[in-house]
This record gives sequence, C-alpha cells and structure tokens, in this order.
Amino acid sequence: MSTESTFRNEPALEFRRESVRAQALRALAELRTKLPLRIGPASGASASGELLSYNPANPAELIAVAPDGSAADARAALVRADAAFASWSALDAGTRAATLQRAAGLLRERRLELAALEVLEAGKPWPEADADVCEAIDFLEYYALGALALDQGRLLPQLPGERNTLRYYARGPHAVIAPWNFPMAIPAGMVSAALVTGNTVVFKPAEQTPACGHALVQALHSAGVPEDALVLLTGADEPARELVAHPLVHGIAFTGSCAAGQHIIHAAAQAQPGQRHVKRVIAEMGGKNCIIVDADADLDDAVPAIIKSAFGFAGQKCSAAARVLVCEQIADALNERLAGAIQALRVGPAEDFACDLATVIDAEALARINAFLDGAEHEPRVQAEVPVGTGGHYVPPTLFVDLPPSSRIVREEVFGPVLSSERVASVDEAVRIVQEGDFGLTGGLFSRSPQTIEHVSRLGIVGNLYVNREITGAMVGRHPFGGGRLSGTGPKAGGPDYLLTFVEARSVSENTVRHGLVI
Amino acid sequence: MDDAQLEERVHECGQRLAAGLAGADTGGLRHPLAAGERRMMRSLIGDPRLRAALFRFVDVRPACHSRTELVRHLSEFLEEAGAGSGNARRLARLTGRRELTLPTAGAAGLGVASMAHRFIAGEDAQAAAPELSSLWEQGRCVTLDLLGEATLTESEGERYAQRCTQTLRALAQMSAGWAPNQLLEHDGLGPLPRANLSVKVSALTPHLRANAPERALSAARDRLLELLRLARELDAHLHVDMESLDTRESITELFLELLALDEFADGPPAGIVLQGYLTDSEEQLERLLGWLEQHPRGAPFTIRLVKGAYWDHEVVLAAQHGWRAPVFTDRRSCDRHYEHLTRRLLDARAGGMALRPAIASHNLRSLAHAIAYSDALGLAPDALELQVLRGLGDDTAAAIATYGRRVRVYCPVGDLVAGMAYLVRRLLENTSNDSFLAAQTTGADINLLLERP
Repeated sequence: MSTESTFRNEPALEFRRESVRAQALRALAELRTKLPLRIGPASGASASGELLSYNPANPAELIAVAPDGSAADARAALVRADAAFASWSALDAGTRAATLQRAAGLLRERRLELAALEVLEAGKPWPEADADVCEAIDFLEYYALGALALDQGRLLPQLPGERNTLRYYARGPHAVIAPWNFPMAIPAGMVSAALVTGNTVVFKPAEQTPACGHALVQALHSAGVPEDALVLLTGADEPARELVAHPLVHGIAFTGSCAAGQHIIHAAAQAQPGQRHVKRVIAEMGGKNCIIVDADADLDDAVPAIIKSAFGFAGQKCSAAARVLVCEQIADALNERLAGAIQALRVGPAEDFACDLATVIDAEALARINAFLDGAEHEPRVQAEVPVGTGGHYVPPTLFVDLPPSSRIVREEVFGPVLSSERVASVDEAVRIVQEGDFGLTGGLFSRSPQTIEHVSRLGIVGNLYVNREITGAMVGRHPFGGGRLSGTGPKAGGPDYLLTFVEARSVSENTVRHGLVI
Repeated sequence: MDDAQLEERVHECGQRLAAGLAGADTGGLRHPLAAGERRMMRSLIGDPRLRAALFRFVDVRPACHSRTELVRHLSEFLEEAGAGSGNARRLARLTGRRELTLPTAGAAGLGVASMAHRFIAGEDAQAAAPELSSLWEQGRCVTLDLLGEATLTESEGERYAQRCTQTLRALAQMSAGWAPNQLLEHDGLGPLPRANLSVKVSALTPHLRANAPERALSAARDRLLELLRLARELDAHLHVDMESLDTRESITELFLELLALDEFADGPPAGIVLQGYLTDSEEQLERLLGWLEQHPRGAPFTIRLVKGAYWDHEVVLAAQHGWRAPVFTDRRSCDRHYEHLTRRLLDARAGGMALRPAIASHNLRSLAHAIAYSDALGLAPDALELQVLRGLGDDTAAAIATYGRRVRVYCPVGDLVAGMAYLVRRLLENTSNDSFLAAQTTGADINLLLERP
C-alpha cells in the first residue's frame, strides 16, 4: 500500500466565511465557561505540586491546572509503560493503525474546541491554531497508513533453497518531550509514530501547554490505546531529565531548543546500569532560516510571504524566517516595502481574528527577546505598535536592516518576531551564507529564473527549501519536515522514513533444502 | 415571450453582432499588429508549454535590469518548455545564438511592450487622453482602471488614492470637451457621467484581511469617502471593482456603508461588480438588490455583471486548503448562471428600480442574450449597458456600437511594471481552452458559439 497515494490532508476551517468565524467564537466562549481545566494525576503518581497554564494575552486568565510531575512520577510512568509494552507490541499492525485513525476521528469531532484551546493556552491565532489541530489529525492518519506499509516488511533477494524475510519490530517504552509552539501537532506526530509501530509512550507536554497535550492523550485513550501504553506526564524539566536518563527508555523523541536537544543526545548516550540497549534520539531543534531574494523577484509576492514567514505566530516556529538575504539591485525597494508592511501589522490577542500576530508564549520569552532588542539598541529598526497595559506578553514585530554580521540578532536564534535584512551581491553569496550557518532547517528562494531555482534546489542547502512562497506551514505528507546541521537528527517528520527510527529491523534466513529438495 | 421565442431572438441579435464583428475584423488597420498577434494567440492556444514560457517572460520582463538578463530569462523559459514543445525548442535555439542575442532581446522586449500597449491605454489619464477621446468619437464610453503594484504599505495606499484623485480630475476636465452623445450620456434614469473611474479597494489599504473584513472598513474608509466626495463634486461615476473572494466582504460592506450616508443621497452615481462565476453570486445579487430597496438614492446604482477574472486563483486556493471551490468549475453551468443573473438584473430594472445593469462580457452569446431579454421586457435600448475590456474586446465594442447599443470600454492605465500582472491575466483568459475569444480566434462556427449553454 502506498501512503502517498491514499493520504489527504485534513481541510482547514474556512475562516473567511463569517459563519465559520462565528462558530469558532462560540466554541471559545463555551470553553471559557469550563476554565480552568483540571487535569488529574495519572494513576499511581505521587501527589506532587501543581502546574498552571495561563492565557499569554491575559496572564490573569488561568487555563489549566495539572500535576507538576517529579522524577518519581517519571519513573512510575515508565514502569507502567514498560509493563504495557508486551501486550501493545503484540497487537497486529492493523489494530494499532485503526486505533490511531479512530483517535483522528475524535479530534476531528472537536476541531473548533481544540483550536479554541490552543488560542487560549498557546496564544496561537485562529488560522494557525486550527492548522495545528489539522496537522495532529494528519499525523495520526499518515502514520497509521505508514505503519501498515511498514508491516509488509521489505523484499529481499531470494536464492534457491533460501527464504529471506525482513520485518520491523517495536523497541520498548519511548519518551516524547514536546514543545508548546505546535502543542497538538508535534506531540501527535511523535506519540503516534511511537505507538503505531508498537512501542509504548510516556509523553511530557511542554509546561506551558499541558491542556493541549492532555486533549491529545484523551483522544488516543478514548480510541482504545490502553492507559498504560500511553502515559501523560505533565511537568517541567525534572521529569523530562529523568525520562531521558532512565534505563527503561528505548527511544526519545524531542522537539525544542538546540541546547536542550544536545543535552538529551549526550545524556541518552550514557548507558545506565541494567540498560541492555542503545537509546535512539530523534531531536528536532532550532533554525535560523534565511529567505534569499534574487534580483528578478516579484516583490508583490516576496514581501507578504516574508512577512508571514517571519511574523506568523510571532516568529515562534522553528521554520520561521529570521534573515532576508536580498540581492543589492532590489534591496532598497524590498526594505522599504518590508518596513511599510510591518507597520501595517496589527498585534493583539490571538482570539481576535483581525490581528496578524499575537503574544509570545510567556514572560520568560518576552524578557529573552527584549534582551536581543535591547542589545541592538543603537541599530535603526522598524517596528509595529503593540497593545499596552493589557499585561499580555507582546513583542513588537521588528525589522533590522544591514546589521553587522557579528550582531547577535544575525547570528543567534531569537525565536520571536524579529527579522534582519542583509544585502548580498548575488544568489551564490547568499547560498554561501546559508551554508555557513549553524542551522539548516528551512529556507526560501524568490526568483523567476528556472536555472537559479534548479541550481539552488539541487544544492540541498537546507532541510526544507521553499521556492516563491512562505517558508512555514509544512504539510504532512506533502512537505516532509526537518533539517540538518544543528537543526536536528532527522529523519523527516511527516515523511516516508520517519517511522523507521521507532523500529528495529530483523531478518530471518531459512534454509529450505531438505535432502536436496527445495521445499 | 416564451423560451423558444427568446432563443430565436438571441440568435438574431448574435448574428447581427457577429456581422459587426466581421466588419471590425476587416478594418483591423487600427492596430497594425493585430493580425500578427491573432496568429500568435492561435499558436499559443494549441501549445500550452510555449504559452507558459511566454507568459513567464511577460511576467518577469519589467524585473530584468539589462538586456542580458532579458535574454537569459527568455532562453531559460524556452529551454524548459522545449521538452514538450517543438515551437519552444526552435525559439530556444534562436535565442541561444550569440549573434542573435541582443536583437532578440530588443525584439522580445519591444514585443511585450507593444502587446502591453494594446491592453493598457497609457501611463496615466493624461497620456491616455487621445485614446479616450478617440473611443468617444467612435461611440464608446470608458471607465478607467489604475494598474499598480500590490498595496502592502500605507504609503502605497495613499499614493493610489492620490492617483485616483488626479485621474478623476483629469477625466472630468478632458471629457468636458467631448461632443455630445445622447446614447452614451443618458438613460431613463437620468444623465450618465462621462468621467467614470473603477477603483480597487485592495489598492487603497494594506489592511484587507479575508478573516477580518471589518478591518478594512476603518482602514480604507477615509480614502474611499474622499473619492466619493470628489466624484460627487465633479459629477463623475465611481465604481468599485471586485477581486478575489477573500476581499469581497470588505469591499461590499465598506462601499454600501458609505453610499448609505446622507451626504451621498443624491450622488455620485456609483456601482459595484457582481462576479457570476461564484456559485453564491445569486445570494450576493439579492443582497445588493435588497440594499438598494432599503436605501433609495437620488443617483442610480450600477451593477456590472462580469464572469470573474480570478478563476485559477480561487480554484488553486481552495484545492490547497481542502475547500470546495467557490466558483463554477464547468463552463456551461457558469454561462447558464451568468444568463440567469442577467435576467434577474434586467427584471429588477424593469420592475422600476433605480438600477443600471451593465453586462460585461466578450461572449457574444451572453451579450446577445442580454440584448434579447432586455428587448423582450420592453426596456428602452439605453437601459442596458454592455462593457468590454480594451485590447481584448475592441472588435466586440465596435460591433456593439454598430448595433446601436451603449458600450463602455474598461481601460487600464499604468506603467509597464504594473501592467504586466494585468497583461498576464488577460492573456491567460484570452488563450484558455474555455475562452470564448479563443474559440472565436480559432474560427469556431458562429451558430455553435451562440448555442444555449
């Protein structure tokens, strides 16, 4: 069965229709009557402290109360996942795939409610919140199909008197450590890939978005994943560190910062007493993504795409654009239009459909990004206005032009609505700059020359190159996502190779000759 | 009049228009390049790869900073198209020969510029003045459309508003000297202004948002308000164009809200566009008619019925998001619906509304149907206005004028950079398989072209 031929992305909600927006706002109002959401401790967990999540646009609004898991909770969760492994991995692939598809159906039934939850808990504007729910559904459907394909094994060369087979096997309990910026989609991908291939999972959502993580787990449990095969572990760093270090863990799927990812890779490499396997790590880390603008680019297209790539969800995507590398012939024209377009951006609460971008996730992020901006205090900049006096974590979308290459804003990942525009002599120079960067996640090229497009595409300078379009918004199946260098380990999420990391291939070679007869 | 009788009348009108077309065709001296271009159009319709290559060249032409760049792009497009098109391969070999390179660039550049000139009346209203008055002398009135780059910033919106202001003034001034023409200047609802401007609300503000139509209401309000005031002062007609579906709500809401203000109770004459290819266009029409009933104004309201020029955009956008396409995907249903809307508009006028139906089409059948139905309702000939695009509908305009009906020519003005996007859209339209003009160019039988959709 070919995954690619049967898979279709979940259609986005058509918010351009007034009736759909009205439904969404009703769902949001309905959700508000249930706040704060209370997430109970997993059975067997110790009564630890509480983890609270807030609306980033209004930190006085409490969204969810969850257990603040400890190292002991992590250990207890792993023991359960380990005990559940034998029976879950023994199910046939079709049963597990069907379970994922049922979970996808459950998420589909709650589309508006879940998008509303992301709006409130992650400060994610409506279209992007809905896209995240769709992507979660996509991952469940896509990996379900992928697991069925994988279950067929691989064809091997066969000789007379010899029967060779290759099958894939589950490995054991996995730890999934997820970020808050795609609070349902990214964990849905990592959790479902591990589960559908027969592994059990302890899933720790980001401390900022426990309710989004809980909603995903709820759907999978309701669909038939046993409680112990998927254990939700809410909390901050402590339980995550314990998961990574614990000998029962066979694999770790992580998406987050580069520093945390490298720490995980390091810690996972240290075998613990009693550990009889090598832990595998999939880490999807950061980006410092560049958009190259050729001299023949159409600025009517390039400017809106750059704005969307840099400032959508306030730049809090690992795929977001951080640098524009523009050929000098059109640099002034581009910078002038970018500046004007930024000033036309409207910043406000995510729930307001009229806003282009909203808050950053929390006070810590606000302080971190402001430190970047303060560090460049002498540099001229262009900014949009932000709401004041609301208590929301707003950072003004900001453009810097012609910063020196040594500037922190040019070199480091800001993970916020900050864009730098730099002049280059040619597309080739821009390509060199991209190749010399620490990261290699996404990138963009605006050009109308077929040869330039072909040339840059072939170089493979980043994991996901987007030509003449925005560089965010990868679609499961259509745009397998992930990068090289310090951006991650691969393989690409939402692509044909992803599930292989969660399984072990075993081959059997049987001698089929008895007394000279091939049987 | 029953159905069969109407059909008979449609065919008669159509034959008469076609006869006018044929006459215009032999008088093609007005555009010395017309015959060559027609030949080129014919070859493009049959060669989609060459068509794509040439359109990409037209598209990139203003962004090429030198002749070398021009040639490089042209040869790259042709080379890519060469795999599936013999014509493109031959042309690619030609552009690749060094001794031909510079002349090729010059010719290609000139070719695009001259083609652009066919569609674009001039850099601005002043430059287009001779063309506009010559159209008037030939019995055709005009509406001007200002081409420009996308409005992404406030200053770009402001600049567009200024161009609109200048254009309105220039039009009022130049048209004052035109000779009187009863058919073009009066209908049963009163005088028709000679000065007529079509405005794009999306060019007035960078704040149009599909998911928040209310945002443009405040952002574009002041600029559109000023234009309405100026139009009233100059006694000009102000029309707002429609663009992609994403902007329809903003444009409609804003325009109707402003027109309902007391200060515009008696003017200016104004109008809006209805895109027949949208599957919900009938609801949109009912909404407009309902508004008109609730807000009776002294100045008549024009509804220009078009098929719609963003078909590909709407289909692609919907497909990429997994949405049902908001447009008819079958040409015949679309044409049928267009006729249905035509009848609804003419019925409303016959019912006594202060409504001016304007049927904008290059489809002879659609035009003939409008004339026949209008006549069948007993409406005066001046109650119906027909509209065509400059460059594409020149022959059609001549045929309509010969028929003795009012025809308004939609004349874009602007510079080459701005004009290219427009030019590509028009060329696409003109050479698509479904295009009426394409069928006409390739010499389809007139009776087939007039068949009921």
